[in-house]
Amino acid sequence: MPWMFFIVLTGWLFGPWGTAWALDHDNLDPNRPVQLEDAYPIPHGEIGVEGGVRVNDRRAGSTQLIYQPQILYGAFMNTQIEIQSDIFTDPHTLRGTNQSGDLRLGVLYNFNTETLLWPALAVRVEGIFPTGVRSQGVDTQLTGILTRSFGRLRFHANAGYTILSRPRDVERHGVYRLVGAVSYPIGYPFRFRETLIVDVYTQQSDLIGQRNYTGAEIGIRHQLSSRIVLDMGMGTEFDGPSDRSAINGTIGLSIGF
Amino acid sequence: MTINKDPSLHSIRHGCLRVLTMCLLLLTAWPLTGCEQFEKRDQRFYYRALWNFSLRDNLKELDIDFNGIDFGHSHLYENLLLTGAADVPAIEDVARQETLRFIASRPTLPPNEEAIAPNYMKLAWRAQNTFDEAHALHRSTYDIYVADLSPAEQDRAIHNVLAYYQKSAYAITPHRLDHHRLDSLPYSKAFRQKFPLFNATIWAYHYLQVAVYDPLGAAPDLSAKQRAVQPILDTYHHYLRHPPVHWTFMPLVDEYSPRFAAQYPAIANIFDNLHMLHDTISDILSSELFPTWQAKRAEIYRVLDTYYLATADSTNPMIIRDQPLPHHLH
Repeated sequence: MPWMFFIVLTGWLFGPWGTAWALDHDNLDPNRPVQLEDAYPIPHGEIGVEGGVRVNDRRAGSTQLIYQPQILYGAFMNTQIEIQSDIFTDPHTLRGTNQSGDLRLGVLYNFNTETLLWPALAVRVEGIFPTGVRSQGVDTQLTGILTRSFGRLRFHANAGYTILSRPRDVERHGVYRLVGAVSYPIGYPFRFRETLIVDVYTQQSDLIGQRNYTGAEIGIRHQLSSRIVLDMGMGTEFDGPSDRSAINGTIGLSIGF
Repeated sequence: MTINKDPSLHSIRHGCLRVLTMCLLLLTAWPLTGCEQFEKRDQRFYYRALWNFSLRDNLKELDIDFNGIDFGHSHLYENLLLTGAADVPAIEDVARQETLRFIASRPTLPPNEEAIAPNYMKLAWRAQNTFDEAHALHRSTYDIYVADLSPAEQDRAIHNVLAYYQKSAYAITPHRLDHHRLDSLPYSKAFRQKFPLFNATIWAYHYLQVAVYDPLGAAPDLSAKQRAVQPILDTYHHYLRHPPVHWTFMPLVDEYSPRFAAQYPAIANIFDNLHMLHDTISDILSSELFPTWQAKRAEIYRVLDTYYLATADSTNPMIIRDQPLPHHLH
């Protein structure tokens, strides 16, 4: 499946489409390249194909490769539908709710654009279906998202909670995740092709009694052409269980059409 | 790994999570209670077709200049807001020169206007959405005029993009508006009187946007189209170096592309109304009649909702009623 995805990506990159209009590199989606999501969906009618590879060098255990294909669709005004399936190399799970090959179906709904008074607010609901390796039960994730700008600096906050329908052994019934981030367009007023993103996060561990996974990421999104955004990022988890990430890196593409 | 099975700690964390979830739900539900400043994002993708981006792929020079134009209005609005339109050199010299430098940088992609004017976007997002929809119509019509289409295919494509545009709640009226009356509001001409150089620069952009249609339409192939637009590009760049401050009114489509205006009167009207809306907003942002950002926002939305959007057609006093559109263009 990941190979098919990259063949499709290559086809889009070098196929007959040539350059096209503007995919918005300021519109932040999870994993491209950091886990933060901003409060804005893609425009109504747009289709986005996104994918990337993440290398996770853990403090204990083997280094892991993660393929992250995703399709987005602006199905309705202010509403984005997402289909995603992460595929891992061994070990096939690092998190209780995230098994290799699980199908994730999500909806992001934006309540409002940012105004002088209001930050942009959105909610994201996601179902995680047990199509993956050793997966069981349908998990549900609810995330509140806020974006507020001060000049060109944008602050983002994600607060999410995932409910596990069938936790095993000492797995929690639910885990929370908090992410705070800033993004900034680099190059104003003469260049508008890069956005820098820095985030910090804490995520409750899957097993009862373990410390939270707490870390930071930095990434950049670069408008490669009108239709294609390239992203790169890296991060580390500085607190948490022994299998937390020592360093991780991501490279990916987003294509809008 | 260390595993702590302390149940009291577990229940405390669960309690915190419930509070957090409640706060999140409240945060997301609060805006739904209604607020004047609570606005929908409502972004729509452009009309998807095989001819998308023909201009960018085939007439790069013209496309690059249009990308430069995208910077100008947003940069102007942001600077008018931040300076209160009280600092003439900040607009006429600094902001205008920054705009000219951006145009001279030959941008191959359109800039992100939310990064150019973050405060203006927060002030009047619905007006910006109105601009975005009309600019997408502009881009689509250029693409169609540059694409390798037969006259019948071109005509059909133009009608399709117009129909798509008119489905938007942010579509500008296709009727001819009384521009001179719109230019006689209590604050009209405030911008051009305070900032004649930048105003003439804006009108030079509008000249380029409307003047290329007929030469593109008359040229039989790509090389001919490139040759046809070159004199217009030369004139446009001359205007950037020497802004036409002697002009007393903005360029109109039927003055510079009369064939296009005759063939597609609804689109010509939309573009003229769009350019008039740009001028009106410049005047509101420059006028001392609206001393606060809130007052400026209220007036921008008043004129938008009353005079410019197609949703106001049945009551719009600015529509020139004795010039009906052909039925198929409604």
